[in-house]
Amino acid sequence: MTLEIASQTTDETELAQLIVETLNLDIKAPEIDPLGSLYGEGLGLDSIDMLEISLVVSQHFGVKLRADDEANAEIFRSLRSLNAYIRANSGP
Amino acid sequence: MSNSARAQEWVTRRERGSLSAIRLGVWIARRLGRPLARLLLYPVCLYFCISSPSAARASRIYLGRVLGRAPRLTDRLTHFLTFARCLLDRVFLLGDQSDAFEITVHGEEILQEIERNGGGCILIGAHFGSFEVARAVGRQRRCDLPISLLMYEENAQKIRAALAAINPNLATEVIGLGRRESMLAVAERLQRGHFIGVLADRNVDGRDMVRYEFLGAPAAFPQGPFRVAMLLQCPAVMMVGIYRGGRRYEVHFETLAPAATARPVDSAVWLDDVMTRYVTRLAHYCREAPFNWFNFYDFWG
Repeated sequence: MTLEIASQTTDETELAQLIVETLNLDIKAPEIDPLGSLYGEGLGLDSIDMLEISLVVSQHFGVKLRADDEANAEIFRSLRSLNAYIRANSGP
Repeated sequence: MSNSARAQEWVTRRERGSLSAIRLGVWIARRLGRPLARLLLYPVCLYFCISSPSAARASRIYLGRVLGRAPRLTDRLTHFLTFARCLLDRVFLLGDQSDAFEITVHGEEILQEIERNGGGCILIGAHFGSFEVARAVGRQRRCDLPISLLMYEENAQKIRAALAAINPNLATEVIGLGRRESMLAVAERLQRGHFIGVLADRNVDGRDMVRYEFLGAPAAFPQGPFRVAMLLQCPAVMMVGIYRGGRRYEVHFETLAPAATARPVDSAVWLDDVMTRYVTRLAHYCREAPFNWFNFYDFWG
């Protein structure tokens, strides 16, 4: 069964690439559904994976992801929302 | 993954012990005091032995492995009694009565060095003896170690409430597992110099179970706690609090992995190395104090 997934923007593909390389995922970056969930169902990541993502995001984009951020549900909802958060908070 | 499913089932099963029962237990223990409450443990253990055949069976399997012979009835009762006594002592250890215990500490310099360097560390324990004595160690030194415990969210809620019933100052020091931000919270606390306690002999986050030879047969251990230490380049220190009978506890700290300035070149090799050390030391302590083992399910299943 092939599912039609939304297409990624260039920025999203770059982030997806970073995530796939960091976590050694068995999926190709462009195959990640930008609207699918990252944690748990969807990409199937656990909280240690989320930690790895936060470390690599901080390293690459200088954006800190925080445990107690009330917006986390939105930030981590999908590749698209995570990317939007990073781009909005990283320097020029 | 069937093994992890079983471990999960065990966690759920344990959860049936309701919060009101915990509160009642704490209340009774305090009213009676330690000596009387300890007497009450005999019938409780006998009841537990009879009413939980699967726990009794698991105990038999473990004792057979660690003792290298068929366990006698006295061994089996001692196993349950040791568990119950350690549980009971939690009430007193956590409730500012730790002065009443004789606690000897080995390897304290490891913690002192970590504190001097201002960093936190991951304290890796097991369901073995009493993890709570670590807090008592800090209190004896007149400085509370900033310890946070990592545990399943469902357990965490109960434990938080139970801790609050014993000592309100302890209530917030539990980090629930299995949430998206669990490990982010761990990282942030480590950066503030906290000690993060985690019991690494059971499934921590649903994945990454690796089998190691343990007391003569392969058993599954979670990679998660070690991965976190690796990612955050913080020291991984094994902590074991052995109950030695009477009022005596013996705490051991051992470095499993020192603080690192960089990620290991080969993370798989690093993880295997550190986990092998943990499992080997755990087996050593089991042989040394066999009745302190508190995993009452088929650990090798």
